[in-house]
Amino acid sequence: MYSKRIESFLKRKKLKIGDMVTVTKEGRKISGLLMPQTVSGNPDILVIKLVDNGYNIGVKMEAGAAVEKGKGTEPVLVEEEAEFELGKTKTSGKLKFSAGKPKISLISTGGTISSRVDYRTGGVYAVKDPGEFLYNIPELAKAVNIRKLVTPFTKMSEDMEPQDWKQIARAVARELNSGDRGVIVTHGTDFLHYTAAALSFFLRGLTKPVVLVGAQRSSDRGSSDAGMNLLCAAHTAVSDIAEVGVCMHGRIDDDYCLFTRGTHVRKMDTQRRDAFRPINEYPLAKVWPDGKIMVKNRKHKKRDDNGKVKPDLKFEPKVAMLKTYPGSDPDVINYYISRGFRGFVIEGSGLGHVPVQAKKNWTSIIKKHTKDGVPFVITPQTIYGRINTSVYTNLRILYKETGAIPGGDMLSEVALVKLGWALGHTKDPEKVREIMLTNYAEEITSRTLVGTFLY
Amino acid sequence: MDYKKLGLKCGIEIHQQLATKHKLFCECSAAFQDREPVFEVKRKLRAVAGELGKIDTAAMHETLKGKVFRYKVYMNESCAVELDEEPPHPMNRQALEIGLQIAVMLNCEIPEEIEVMRKTVLDGSNTSGFQRTALVGLNGWVDTGFGRVGITNVCIEEDSAQILKKDRKGVVYGLNRLGIPLVEIGTSPDIHEPEQAREVAEKLGMILRSTGKVKRGIGTIRQDLNISITGGSRCEIKGVQKLNMIPKIVEKEVIRQKGIVAKGKNVSSDVRRALPDGRTDFLRPLPGAARMYPETDCPPIQVTGRMLERIKKSLPEIMTDTEQRLMKQYGLGEELAKQVVRSGKAALFEKLANVSDAKTVANVLTKYLKQFPVPDEKLDEFFGALGKKKVPKETLEGMLKQLSGGKPVKDVVTSAGEGLSEPDVENVVRDVIRKNPQVMKVARPEKALMGLVMKDVRGRAPGSLVMKVIMKEIKKH
Ligand SMILES: [Zn+2]
Repeated sequence: MYSKRIESFLKRKKLKIGDMVTVTKEGRKISGLLMPQTVSGNPDILVIKLVDNGYNIGVKMEAGAAVEKGKGTEPVLVEEEAEFELGKTKTSGKLKFSAGKPKISLISTGGTISSRVDYRTGGVYAVKDPGEFLYNIPELAKAVNIRKLVTPFTKMSEDMEPQDWKQIARAVARELNSGDRGVIVTHGTDFLHYTAAALSFFLRGLTKPVVLVGAQRSSDRGSSDAGMNLLCAAHTAVSDIAEVGVCMHGRIDDDYCLFTRGTHVRKMDTQRRDAFRPINEYPLAKVWPDGKIMVKNRKHKKRDDNGKVKPDLKFEPKVAMLKTYPGSDPDVINYYISRGFRGFVIEGSGLGHVPVQAKKNWTSIIKKHTKDGVPFVITPQTIYGRINTSVYTNLRILYKETGAIPGGDMLSEVALVKLGWALGHTKDPEKVREIMLTNYAEEITSRTLVGTFLY
Repeated sequence: MDYKKLGLKCGIEIHQQLATKHKLFCECSAAFQDREPVFEVKRKLRAVAGELGKIDTAAMHETLKGKVFRYKVYMNESCAVELDEEPPHPMNRQALEIGLQIAVMLNCEIPEEIEVMRKTVLDGSNTSGFQRTALVGLNGWVDTGFGRVGITNVCIEEDSAQILKKDRKGVVYGLNRLGIPLVEIGTSPDIHEPEQAREVAEKLGMILRSTGKVKRGIGTIRQDLNISITGGSRCEIKGVQKLNMIPKIVEKEVIRQKGIVAKGKNVSSDVRRALPDGRTDFLRPLPGAARMYPETDCPPIQVTGRMLERIKKSLPEIMTDTEQRLMKQYGLGEELAKQVVRSGKAALFEKLANVSDAKTVANVLTKYLKQFPVPDEKLDEFFGALGKKKVPKETLEGMLKQLSGGKPVKDVVTSAGEGLSEPDVENVVRDVIRKNPQVMKVARPEKALMGLVMKDVRGRAPGSLVMKVIMKEIKKH
């Protein structure tokens, strides 16, 4: 970002990003392409891409410095790049999917995976044409025919809200019901597992795969995980596993991806490509980029191409997630209630305990609000494992007398989405309880399989 | 050969590893000593459209298809950054300052903001698919006996992963070298004589070593030559090992190009490999300029006036200047002065030469230490104790042997006697008597004493002197 001063100066000089310029300063001349300044750079420093070697350097604009539009032509290299550049008319339409391959659609919501760098300016923009994916991943054309690219919005996943889940669900349902074999949803990774959970509850009667996919390394580098993830997602989208799930790297190697159920997946690392791990359940399948699929969990719905999906989008966004910790004060619940919140997921300790000491007694506050019809769902903050309602006295009090709803082995994030979905359907506390205790998307397992820990 | 007439144009590119504590974009050790990998990771690279300039993306896909690169991970020398599983940490300031220092020493202009770039590399030697590099100096120069040679660029960049094995299954790389800071210096094609090329390479190497902050030894410096003649084409010659071979390599390349031109053929632009005899052989066609785009994970670095002032004030003395000064100031001969400076111990020399005999210090630092390694602090103590005294060669050797064997300085120097100092021998004799009072009670104490004292001073004091002192001490008793 350039400062106002520089911006108006450039405007006066009729200079724009990408122009050849010559900066004269203290008797030195520097010629190159005018580049944008990044947010972290000095806004009063002009960034120039040197013609000879492609390096960028910064030149401070201060008294005695002059900038003129360069006379020379742009460097040859850059002109050639322009031909390869994505999103330009020259390339769009050159690469096409074949009509003979299974039809799928791609819902692009933003994030690393569906954005491209403009190498001239360094700017980032979203992919607009399905064919653009083929430049980096030509193998996609052998697996599927991405007949349509839908962009309901473009957002970083950390900015997403329940409203956005609804838009995605609508788009998915529309494309699936108009004959697609499956749908891929490209998504930022941070809150990807929330969207996965939401779609798992929203898409009722699903009979085809809905594959969420993201990338942990940007697609502008040779080492990006985007290519393999998308390719595996494409194979999954035309497979017989009719579930909502996340398809991302299975290991730190570029070997295979895991397709993991949308209600049993969580981002477990800030940056690793294999950050998305199955929790409390085996992944649905291992998927290799060459199309090989190894089913790891037979508990999945099978494809039925005649089925129609019915989106059920009723959702109450006024739900909150709280976490107990040493010294945690349940008084925050009163605050939330005063702000109109209607339901809570509380991450309890260990088996699902909450502090019961006199001064900071969570049980008494939970009890009071439960009586008023506010549901409290308790989930394990250990992430792995399931809560228990009876091995200790305090647990028996919490779940039997106080009326808290045991979340079983549901992930907190999944429980939060489910609670909003339940409250979207009914205000009756007993009905909410019933919904929370019922499996709608295999979100609660009945058996704890020991091999799933740290899978 | 009349090189002017032939239109010889030659430029040099030098890559030198910096001796920083940790790597350029992470806190892993840059020592390059880990040899036992703890882990292996398999990766693939993809051609990324828009990055490749002239190269056809589709063709690149074919080349990379199915290629698996295996990376060995080392406990102390690789982390998630080398594996491209974590964004780079901020650039190593020490490396940056060394780079700026070198740029200033090469009379370069310094950018007011340094922008880290990604240079596309798809051979697997960088896990990310690019090398991080930043231009820290441009438009500089060095003077040679043949005229001035321009410095086009001084860059700070990451070293690549080291090839450990190449087989049918692909390439195995070690991640311990990846990310070690390098300085890259490129000259303009201003070199017009083979001998001038050697002079430039030598001078650049000397300036680099003058900083005292570059690594030394095999593999820490790489020199490439760019050579063309009128009617020929630019060829890059990689892997030039010895400075003395440079004129020969230039000459042979000129002859090669001249021969092709004489036949009326075109010289192809190649990357060639230097052979030990000065000839070169074909490696691959010279690639177009590498794709270069901003490293958005690294914020630009401001070079403030104050920072630059500080660097300019603390510039190291150029090695040739140090040599001259050591000759003048300490009376060393030219060869010895050179050896001291090249050993990288000039600073230690000066410290020690101020308290002891300069020539003795110089000889110890350049000749004896290899055989008898003694840590710097101990040398400091030793020469302090020795003072300005001159010691015969054998005595000096004996003392260093004892020091490197672990004997404390006070024992070595006081017991030395140096074959000359009587008071030193007296001290030893008295010490032995005090520690062994019973010897004085035997019939002929001088015999027993002689044995005990000689154990301590053998080779450093003549027996006659020892006996004389012993007899004197016995009389006193
Ligand atoms: Zn590291």
